[in-house]
Amino acid sequence: MSDSPQQANSIIRLNSVGKVYQQGKLQVTALDGVSLDVEPGEFLALCGPSGSGKTTLLNLVGALDQPSSGSIELEGHNLERMSRKELSELRRDRIGFVFQAYNLMPVLSAYENAEMVLWVQGVDPQIRRDKVMGLLAEVGLEGLEDRRPNELSGGQQQRVAIARAIASDPVVVLADEPTANVDSETAIKLLDLMERLNRERGVTFVFSTHDPLVMERARRIVRLVDGKVQEDSQAA
Amino acid sequence: MAKTTQRAATSGSLVSLAWRNLWANRRRTLITLSSIVFGVFFAILMTALQDRNWADMIDLAAKMGGGHVTLQHPEYQDAPTLRHSVQEVSELAAAVEGAVPIDAVRPRIVGNLMLSTAHESFGAGFIAYDPALETSETLAILNGVAEDEGLRPDDRQGILLGTKLAYNLDAEVGDKVVYTVTDRNGEITSALCRVRGLVTTGAPSVDASLVLLPIEPLREVIGYGPDEANQVAIFLSDQRSTERAVSALVSALRDDVAVLGWNKAQPELAGFIAAKVGGAWVVEGLIGILVAAGIFNTLFVSVMERMREFGIMLAIGWSPGRLFRLVMLESLWLGVVGLILAGLVTVGPYLYLEKTGIDISKMLTDESMEIAGVAMAPVLKVGIFPMSLVIILGAAMFAVLASGIYPAWRAGRINPVETIRLV
Repeated sequence: MSDSPQQANSIIRLNSVGKVYQQGKLQVTALDGVSLDVEPGEFLALCGPSGSGKTTLLNLVGALDQPSSGSIELEGHNLERMSRKELSELRRDRIGFVFQAYNLMPVLSAYENAEMVLWVQGVDPQIRRDKVMGLLAEVGLEGLEDRRPNELSGGQQQRVAIARAIASDPVVVLADEPTANVDSETAIKLLDLMERLNRERGVTFVFSTHDPLVMERARRIVRLVDGKVQEDSQAA
Repeated sequence: MAKTTQRAATSGSLVSLAWRNLWANRRRTLITLSSIVFGVFFAILMTALQDRNWADMIDLAAKMGGGHVTLQHPEYQDAPTLRHSVQEVSELAAAVEGAVPIDAVRPRIVGNLMLSTAHESFGAGFIAYDPALETSETLAILNGVAEDEGLRPDDRQGILLGTKLAYNLDAEVGDKVVYTVTDRNGEITSALCRVRGLVTTGAPSVDASLVLLPIEPLREVIGYGPDEANQVAIFLSDQRSTERAVSALVSALRDDVAVLGWNKAQPELAGFIAAKVGGAWVVEGLIGILVAAGIFNTLFVSVMERMREFGIMLAIGWSPGRLFRLVMLESLWLGVVGLILAGLVTVGPYLYLEKTGIDISKMLTDESMEIAGVAMAPVLKVGIFPMSLVIILGAAMFAVLASGIYPAWRAGRINPVETIRLV
């Protein structure tokens, strides 16, 4: 195991984070003393076998769950000290999520799904419109704005999800197995897209993945085993 | 952290999203709407039937008896004899007109007498009225008199008999009858009359015991003065203002006069109507609870089915409060659409029942034709009071919104980690 050295300009900082779940009478340790720093602009893959703690780590970084021990900071804000409302606002304004199953709102069009976070933020409708139309064009969905999720392919839905995730200019996008539900050709296109967004817009991506295609593209790979960081390596 | 905030822009979209969510499961929404429509339809028609028929019955009772409000001697209620009379009724009538808005005020003498013909004798109740003043507008019994019969203002010997009473006495129009009555001094006195007509009210007990007399000749027979009566009947344009009128008159009139609302003067009828109205509200309340339970179930299932969706919304930054508002808006939409549909479904049957009604005369026996001496209308019609409508619509909307509170709260309490899978 090799924890990365803590950097002064980290956007995400985990300090000896532990997470223990109670399952009936059993206590299950999902994470055990994980320390990790993520810097702006990283394209980072969390990998490891099932049950290694990838889900738990993304939940904690995404402010969806609280650690049992240790601390997590996002842009210098200690998540433990934030109220429920502040955490909601943090997720809304500073974190983008891309889910394995796309998880778009079925009653909304592609445009409206991509617009949702900006809408919740209360951004001016005209600014919203300009930005979302630009984003949808950028992810290759021009002309498909009015389609509902059930009228789009898996790859197209994931593109909408990516547009939704980056619409608010988050500090980091947490992507849950983003290529798991699509064929390899579509997976390559999605990775091309995310890589381009990372390169051109400087969007930080943290993936959890089993997909070798993702690991090939990642510039940093953190391998988790039994809740501990076993390896943290930079790509050549 | 928040960017440009324009709440007006987002709240409009929340309403729109709630509307779309409502129709995401069309069948479930239609089932829920149908239960709202059924509940409101049933409540409106049932209440309209009651409002109309009880109001008509109260008005009829008032017109058959002592008005919506009766003025009488303070001891008359406990000891109804001709001794307990009211003096200077003209002055009293003027005071009444100055105190409350009324349709009419009429002096009367009511009591009991013994009626005899050459063949039979029967006891009966009488109402003595001024034929020059009264029409069926204030004395509904006069509706039951044939057009060519009745008492003329100058008729000093005329008498009208209930149909069954005349039959029992073996008397016909034009026959002579003698009535015997105890006068104001307790002396027994008699007068000879001639039958000028027969009265059919539709209430069997009334038709068997009713006598109508001209008030002026009776005053002379029983020793009353020219401005004396034992009952002053006051008629209001709306029976629902009876209590207000009673309160106003109690404080405005002199102390030697008792003021009674129709419900006090006719407690049997008031009790019957109160029991019916109470029973109907209980039934409507139970149906309302069942409908609300159905709506709650639908909304709750709808929330439970969308746990993952709500989890995603919370994950991407929706606040629990916004989710609560979204589900409550879905309830609001259900209520609004449900009430509009209920209105559309109800208006046709309502208008038909208001104009044409349901003829129940064949279902009524002689005994069931009257309630507390008041004839039931043979055709049931509807007519809802605006306040009843407001209460029903308000209660329906409240039930729908109240049914949505818990599901909405649950939506906001969802733990995203449990409902979505990040890896």
